[in-house]
Amino acid sequence: MKKALSLLMVIMLVLGALAACGPNREEGSGNDSGEKKADDANKPEKLVVWEDEKKSGWLDEVGAKFEEETGIKVEVKEVEMATKMKEQLRLDGPAGTGPDVLTLPHDQIGELALAGHIAALEVEGDVEERFTESSMTAESYDGKLYGLPKSSETPVFVYNKELMEEAPKTMDEVYTFSKDFTKDGNYGFLALWDNFYFAHAPIGGFGGYVFAENDGALDAKDLGLNNEGAVEGTEYIQKWYSEGLFPKGIVGENGGSAMDGLFNEGKVASVMNGPWSFQGYKDAGIDIGISAMPKLPNGEPMKTFMGVKGWHVSGYSENKEWAQKFIEFITQDEYAKLRFEQTQEVPTNQGLIDDPAIADNPGAKAVAEQSQYAVPMPNIPEMGEVWGPMADSLQTVVTGKQEPKAALDAAVKQIQQNIEANHSN
Amino acid sequence: MEQQSYQKNTRKTALALSLIPGLGQMYHRQFLKGGFFLIMTAAFILVFRDLIGYGLWGITTLGTDISYGDHSIFLMVYGILAIIVSIFGIGFYLFNLRDAYKNGEKRDRGEKLSTIREQYKNLVDNGFPYLIMSPGFLLLVFVVIFPIIFVILLAFTNYDLYHSPPAKLVDWVGIQNFVDIFKIDIWRETFITVLAWTLVWTFGATTLQVALGVFLAILVNQKDLKGKAIIRTVFILPWAIPAFVSILVFAGMFNESFGTINRDILGFFGIEGLPWMTEPMYTRIALIGIQAWLGFPFIFAMTTGVLQSIPDELYEAATVDGASAFQKFKNITLPLVLFATAPIIITQYTFNFNNFNVIYLFNGGGPALTGQNAGGTDILISWIYSLTMTSAQYSKAAAITLLLSIIVITVAIWQFKRTKSFQEEDMM
Repeated sequence: MKKALSLLMVIMLVLGALAACGPNREEGSGNDSGEKKADDANKPEKLVVWEDEKKSGWLDEVGAKFEEETGIKVEVKEVEMATKMKEQLRLDGPAGTGPDVLTLPHDQIGELALAGHIAALEVEGDVEERFTESSMTAESYDGKLYGLPKSSETPVFVYNKELMEEAPKTMDEVYTFSKDFTKDGNYGFLALWDNFYFAHAPIGGFGGYVFAENDGALDAKDLGLNNEGAVEGTEYIQKWYSEGLFPKGIVGENGGSAMDGLFNEGKVASVMNGPWSFQGYKDAGIDIGISAMPKLPNGEPMKTFMGVKGWHVSGYSENKEWAQKFIEFITQDEYAKLRFEQTQEVPTNQGLIDDPAIADNPGAKAVAEQSQYAVPMPNIPEMGEVWGPMADSLQTVVTGKQEPKAALDAAVKQIQQNIEANHSN
Repeated sequence: MEQQSYQKNTRKTALALSLIPGLGQMYHRQFLKGGFFLIMTAAFILVFRDLIGYGLWGITTLGTDISYGDHSIFLMVYGILAIIVSIFGIGFYLFNLRDAYKNGEKRDRGEKLSTIREQYKNLVDNGFPYLIMSPGFLLLVFVVIFPIIFVILLAFTNYDLYHSPPAKLVDWVGIQNFVDIFKIDIWRETFITVLAWTLVWTFGATTLQVALGVFLAILVNQKDLKGKAIIRTVFILPWAIPAFVSILVFAGMFNESFGTINRDILGFFGIEGLPWMTEPMYTRIALIGIQAWLGFPFIFAMTTGVLQSIPDELYEAATVDGASAFQKFKNITLPLVLFATAPIIITQYTFNFNNFNVIYLFNGGGPALTGQNAGGTDILISWIYSLTMTSAQYSKAAAITLLLSIIVITVAIWQFKRTKSFQEEDMM
């Protein structure tokens, strides 16, 4: 017993002596590591840039120009943006093998900014005015700017010129056309309205909203997904399904490929889809026309979701200022235009809106037009709790299992509970 | 202390001297060993001093100031490393004390101490298994034990989206996570429903697959059955196809509007489209059925093997005594089969308790239920997955992992203890 006690004492002593060996620090005199001024003395050898898959061709040219100006090499790596980018950043960043500059969809920046994976930027006024206001809003979180927009996308109206002469101006026209056209496996108009990303267009157009906006910040406590407008919008969605204008086969996870397949076979006159689908339709030999979404029966435009893609500086970068300089450099109008020509992703630079390259491109023109009515997808982390319940509820509505009001109430209740469980700190 | 006739008090002196490793050994005039101990200790302290100091500081505070680049999770990892290294050090230290004391005892009893040569021989003869085991053991410590400790510690922090490095520090919060799981309504309700379904799923799916496997094996084992080989081959097939593929195929077959189950099979019987994917009850039934399908061939194959080894005399004797077929099954076949396969059946239960694949691939744990933040068919493990991957609730997920592990470990130990097959006695 005694022996054990004395032993314990010894061990405690040794450990105690060692535990006192923490790093020596004066309280509150932190040195902000990695905050180097962007002057020649702190010039890094190279900047590592992560661009989306299959989209980095233009960077070689622009990177070379940047090197000419500054002498800093640009190393480009392609990483799939939608899901892999943030995962890679989380893993590689702390390990010191991450990028200096990366690209992200704007709806992910909230959670990444919160955790410090991406750095806040402070840009001059002239850089700020380079982009449209809505795209800058999308790149801001909690009152701070976290990136510069490179492109935006929003769903538009795509039609088969052989089956539809010109784009209708109102959804009522589309409805009448569809009533007439939809038979024997042909459809007048299709949209994936069981998916909240697309369904937000009619729901928002009738007056629903995800989070209310108070003084430029989104209020996650104020949900507008079961207000009168949202219910009306969902009833409108329900109509298309219940009258058999949309088949059951385009519901659910594989609905998108089913819809594309039908359109590519020339069985569908028009669809609602994003700019990413244009090339596939063209490749299938369909002569497509593209326009902004037709107006809803209440005379309002469709409030589609806008997704902005932007350039960000990694929170782990050793050369944040140079990384920011690089971003400012590559988002200049001429390079944004070069990027558009290679990737067909519509830039949000003010100076390019009337540029013939974009104004004469039907796809880009339609996206730009629709963007005026679009709302940026909320980028606060709470948005993560919205997708699932909304998809479930919309699915029960379009399959006729539940009425819109009840389904939306259930969804909102679920969303609120999840926000409370996962985001009350 | 037993009363022995000691002539001197060397053992205590040596023990006291060995507080600095090696000195006690030198006092016994074992200079080489003493020197070795001394050098090892000095080297250990020199090499690991910083790591242990920094690590222990890190794990107690989890960082104090973001601006110094404190990364709580890394600090925790350093801390665990420091503790493991310290334990090795303390182990060595204790060994040195014991060695000094034991040799002191020997001297006190007037015995001769072993020479270097004898000691070396002793070490090689008795220490051989340890020597061979140590590389594997070291690997095990860092590959298996280390992550387990990490998860356990994580359960006592507040690591989530709002407290995650590099922007924020993580703090120790004691048992707050466990309190939350049982106190906050949504967490409690979710935990209880998920746990209940997990248990139902485990017992339902496993019992069904075991019963089906054993039943079919006995059926196919009948003496006068023709074409045994071909029938057995067919029954093994579900096991031969990778479960990943089968589950995805099943997910397609159960699709409500295009799936063959609703369209062709049930339609044939005039049953209208059942909500396989959108009603929790139906999804659960489908899942248990699928798992039975995936799991029975293994039990079937195993039981078939066991049946071959049951001696015919038993049945002959039973026939002489006038036993019915059912009595033979109940009193001879079943006990022997269960006796031989008990350990495997237990592992089947624990495997299904954590059978992530089938749940995740079939319907992603869906359909959604209101009033909880897990899907209707989420079992604990898939709920933990979605908590970490989509909600970034790392510490809650760790806490639930801990609860889950406690359940699995207790059940496993209890069952292993109870089954006769683990005791070294023969039944036959």
